[in-house]
Amino acid sequence: MAIQVGDTIPNTVLTYAPYNPDHADVCSAPQPMNTHDAFKGKRVVLFAVPGAFTPTCSETHMPEYATRAAEIKAKNVDIVACVASNDPFVMDAWGKAHGVKDSVLMLSDANGEFGSAIGLVNDGTKMRMGPIRLARFAMIINDLKVEYLGVEPARGVTVSGAASVIAKL
Amino acid sequence: MTIKAGDEFPQVQLKYIPFNATNPDACLSPQVLDTKKDFAGKKVVVVGVPGAFTPTCSAQHLPAYVAKADEIKAKGIDLIVFTSSNDFFVLSAWGNSAGVEDKIIMAGDANGDLGRATGLSVDFSKFGLGSQRLTRFAVVIDDGKVEHLFTEPDPSDVTVTSADNILSVL
Repeated sequence: MAIQVGDTIPNTVLTYAPYNPDHADVCSAPQPMNTHDAFKGKRVVLFAVPGAFTPTCSETHMPEYATRAAEIKAKNVDIVACVASNDPFVMDAWGKAHGVKDSVLMLSDANGEFGSAIGLVNDGTKMRMGPIRLARFAMIINDLKVEYLGVEPARGVTVSGAASVIAKL
Repeated sequence: MTIKAGDEFPQVQLKYIPFNATNPDACLSPQVLDTKKDFAGKKVVVVGVPGAFTPTCSAQHLPAYVAKADEIKAKGIDLIVFTSSNDFFVLSAWGNSAGVEDKIIMAGDANGDLGRATGLSVDFSKFGLGSQRLTRFAVVIDDGKVEHLFTEPDPSDVTVTSADNILSVL
């Protein structure tokens, strides 16, 4: 019962540490972000990764979005966001490691609420990554409705990558 | 049921990525750290922190242990382990950012096994960290037995769990 194109995204609370241009090195206090409040009336590209600082996510998935965020926004997208099952401090550190500043919103779904609500989570217990980990996918969301959904079928980055999403914008 | 001095330290499996001395940028395969098998016959200091990359943990707690690791080991400690409820990739990245190298094993307890077995999990939801996170603690284990256990009364501070305090009891 995973989310599909045409569905409305669930109304859940994610957290993030806001980018502070005056103190770019300092971690600001995590803030809650209600998906419906933040994304209503906007066009959003949201990509999800199994884990911050993991090989595929760090070497391939995130860098493509970091370098092409401006290109994506130029195609009528208001927000580019990354979400993972890590906590907001980890997401903030990972974003800083890739120099995203405020071009990519680094969101935390630490309790797995969002992932569970859309049915796109995996059990990472065997790998000692915890019982609820977001799958790898990318979504184009238009005023809360899913316009495009690319869920990776296997390891690697194809339909959830920046290039695939840009082709659909 | 929280552990205390005199108890056997529980057996759980944590995971860590070993430091690669020949090519520090290349990740070696993750290894399991078994808190019974790998601590047998050894004197070990285990430090638990609420979160990798969080302010207090990053600014105060970890750097002091990195700086004093050799001093701690000179007092008969065989292994220093830092752990938190993050996964081992995050612990590894955090260790790299703090220049840990092979001084400290950065082991992840993402499955929550250590938190449950020791009773040292707390609810940090109000800090955005989730409801089952390891609190800030430092434990000295001698051949599997808890010799000293310090738990921060205020987990956002570093007092009794500091490297200096651990050195003072060794």
